Amino acid sequence: MANPCAIIGIGQTKHDTKREDCSQIDLVREAAKRALEDAGLTWRDIDAVVIGKAPDTFEGVMMPELFLADALGAVGKPMLRVHTAGSVGGSTALVAASLIQAGVHDRVLTVAYEKQSESDAMWALAMKIPFSPPLVAGAGGYFAPHIRKYIAQSKAPDDIGIKVAVKDRLNGVKNPYAHLHLPNITYEEVRDSLMLWDPIRYLETCPSSDGACAMVLASESASNAPTRPAWVHGGAMRSEPTMFAGRDEVNPIAGQECARDVYKQAGISDPRKEFDAAEIYVPFSWFEAMWMENLHFAPIGDGWKMTDTGATAIDGDMPINPSGGVMCSNPIGASGMLRFAEAAMQVRGQAGEHQIDGARLALGHAYGGGSQYYAMWVVGSEKP
Amino acid sequence: MTEPLVAPHVLEWGYTRSLGPTLTAFFTGLRDRKIVGAKTKTGRVIVPPTPHDPDTGEDVDSLVDVSDEGVVETWSFVSHPRPKQPLDRPFAWALIKLDGADTAMLHVVDGAIETGSRVKAKWRDETVGYITDIECFVPA
Repeated sequence: MANPCAIIGIGQTKHDTKREDCSQIDLVREAAKRALEDAGLTWRDIDAVVIGKAPDTFEGVMMPELFLADALGAVGKPMLRVHTAGSVGGSTALVAASLIQAGVHDRVLTVAYEKQSESDAMWALAMKIPFSPPLVAGAGGYFAPHIRKYIAQSKAPDDIGIKVAVKDRLNGVKNPYAHLHLPNITYEEVRDSLMLWDPIRYLETCPSSDGACAMVLASESASNAPTRPAWVHGGAMRSEPTMFAGRDEVNPIAGQECARDVYKQAGISDPRKEFDAAEIYVPFSWFEAMWMENLHFAPIGDGWKMTDTGATAIDGDMPINPSGGVMCSNPIGASGMLRFAEAAMQVRGQAGEHQIDGARLALGHAYGGGSQYYAMWVVGSEKP
Repeated sequence: MTEPLVAPHVLEWGYTRSLGPTLTAFFTGLRDRKIVGAKTKTGRVIVPPTPHDPDTGEDVDSLVDVSDEGVVETWSFVSHPRPKQPLDRPFAWALIKLDGADTAMLHVVDGAIETGSRVKAKWRDETVGYITDIECFVPA
């Protein structure tokens, strides 16, 4: 049985299109210092640092873990870098948690970031390979046919993506750190926005952001903090190749099994009933409906109904992405950790205007690559 | 059997660098012919400056000007410079600890050099805020 792991400090930057006021060093330190302050600790109290970000091609800094080691107070301490594409923020937190759960360290600082303004993430994901014409489609082009397939299979009305986009943007208004603040967004505005990758419209797409997130994870004996901790009730990761025979892009097996694993660890049998909030990785709005099925919140074919009936709204029975989620801020490498951190903030009662009253159990979810990598954790207000 | 195919694969992207306040102060200082360092809470002066004490991770205390004159800590001599190197005559790459600094900075020394030599920055007539605003260091 693993040792308990507490989340005692959480920090994030203000996310924005271009944080030209700061360097990559300043950006990660902004989040890390907030996490340390929240934990009531200083750099010297930290035993190890675990950092994650998406591909090095995004900023053009090879081995950012080396570049950032002293800026994150890691001199003389273990410094690890994790990489699992867009899910990396989640898997980074899980690697950090495992160092606590295994009894290796008492206090681990974990940080994830992306400074997308320093390059062009879309082109960094759309390499021109010899012998093939470039598709220059980016992530949206990759996922668009999967969404079309979901709509065909589930017979969902074609405006579910619009409804998710409006809901998440209105939630983001309640989150001071969110990149997009669109208080006046309307259904019509999303519907009439440019069709980028049919059926994905411009306003059904996440932004490109600069931002960072950090957490201080602690063992039970080190779990005293100014704000009561959140506790890890389960953590799981899965991966699957994009072209294996059993591949289902709409409802990937790795995601289904990752969720089953993490629910089993946390003793959850009915996620929709038992979770008070969930922060899940929705970079294109239709993925809320798809992930509701993949994460076993809804029967196959019914995920879209949760959006349509308002169940996933901040005042619904299963609030999804009360922070505004990836649809409001997407510093790719940090996005998964933001989901994990926002879930922990909910059960710590720290989420401010987007707090779900009395939240005690929450899910943090991240996926990455071509729906290839999954990382999830369940956090609760009580020690498991 | 056809020969297996091989083709060149060129990857090219433009990048941006945001320097943040600390390195902005350093490069802006060069434009004004000043060298700026960062003083840590323990009193060490780091040049070029970092926003944090590299030993502890703590924020630095303040930015301070250091001298444009200092001591060669170690060096590597280039007897036959290549076309793209900074000087067209024999020179040395050197780690120079400027007066007032506690760390050495890499630059170029023109002229006779040995460990412990005192050298002084030779500024260009026109400065733009690059490290090359110092053309090289020369014996002080």
